[in-house]
Amino acid sequence: MSKRITIDPITRIEGHLRIDCEIDNGKVTNAWSSGQMWRGIETILKGRDPREAWIFTQRFCGV
Amino acid sequence: MNKLDKSGMDEDTICGFSRRDFLKFCSTMAVGMGLPVGMGEKIAEAVTAQKRPPVLWLSAQECTGCTETLLRASHPTLEKLILELISLEYHETLLVGSGKQAEDWRMKAMKEYKGRYILVIDGSIPIKDNGIYCKIGGKTALSLLVEMATDAAAVVAIGSCSSWGGIPSSDPNPTGATAAHEVLKSKGIKTPVVNIPGCPPNPYNFLSTVLYYVTFKKLPELDDQARPKFAYGRIIHENCERRPHFDAGRFALQFGDEGHKKGHCLYKLGCKGPETFANCPVQLFNDVGSGAWPVGTGHPCFGCTEKGVGFTVPLHSPARPKYITPPSFFTEVFPGKEGVAPGTKALAAGVAGAAIGAAGAAVLSGLGKKDDDKKDKGE
Repeated sequence: MSKRITIDPITRIEGHLRIDCEIDNGKVTNAWSSGQMWRGIETILKGRDPREAWIFTQRFCGV
Repeated sequence: MNKLDKSGMDEDTICGFSRRDFLKFCSTMAVGMGLPVGMGEKIAEAVTAQKRPPVLWLSAQECTGCTETLLRASHPTLEKLILELISLEYHETLLVGSGKQAEDWRMKAMKEYKGRYILVIDGSIPIKDNGIYCKIGGKTALSLLVEMATDAAAVVAIGSCSSWGGIPSSDPNPTGATAAHEVLKSKGIKTPVVNIPGCPPNPYNFLSTVLYYVTFKKLPELDDQARPKFAYGRIIHENCERRPHFDAGRFALQFGDEGHKKGHCLYKLGCKGPETFANCPVQLFNDVGSGAWPVGTGHPCFGCTEKGVGFTVPLHSPARPKYITPPSFFTEVFPGKEGVAPGTKALAAGVAGAAIGAAGAAVLSGLGKKDDDKKDKGE
């Protein structure tokens, strides 16, 4: 008999992470991690002057 | 539990500092906010006399840079004081518990401190497609902001994203990223909001605002974009250390050219200082001395605190200096020399002043004219 556990949010990391795992007889049989936030920076970068790409890409993560 | 409750002003140490150092810190913060030095005492009393104000920190579309900027406040007493000044009840990056534990604590704190807690928000709120582009514990950031702001005493939006939309709201704004105050306004929530824009914001602008609130039980005086006037009352251009080069018409035209090496004005490289309100040239960053801000390092300001400028206007296109009024004359800039008769000095100053005035006026009158901008590019 498998059951599913969801941990959301995962704290003490940068960003919004969620972990789902399936457990069968005390063993993890399957697991998924997923980012719960999307800003579309790739989409924002399209068509811009390459010289200003860095001000966007360096802000993927501020840590 | 609460160390500050036990440490009165008569104790030898407050928050682990000598009483003298603690008062010095409070006075420095008072001066930073444009308050009289004597107010330092009042801040010290407020900080020590009451229970620490509960703070819940909500993160939406953010990069954690705003949290980092606070951790980088290297003022000797600041890190420790802020950890003991407020009672941080919820902060995703710092919480020990995860998942259900974290969310249960958030609900508990919101209930216990209903109407009294300060809600800090970093990151923009995606509103497109019902806000599915940012979720915490299965709830959208949009619904969490509404839920948490409703019962908050005040909302502090830290960083450009939560203050005006920031980088996620850049064209074409794929997720409908929106500033916190705009979301609250659209939902009819009346909780007062103060914006501390910047990418990253200066930590002292945030800390001063919180201290002001703790001391006076109200938000500091705000401008039309809900930014504290003590920090965002003037454009960068007004306090820029390179301003004399602008007035004298000395510009860097390319990165690495002679003007750039000599530290001349960066206006023609696209500096947005003339249309950006912030105290960067005065407050500086990281407590490492002079020059520790973008223009000081030789890069043009890109206007991160200003909606419609940062991440919006192309990085290297010229600023639109709408707030600059050319002076009718320039005052004496050369110190008088000994042994020169007062009349001669005044005459010389008058001539020099007129010459500088003419040059400065010529530079300023050319700004904003498209034809001249084209000429500039051809230089």
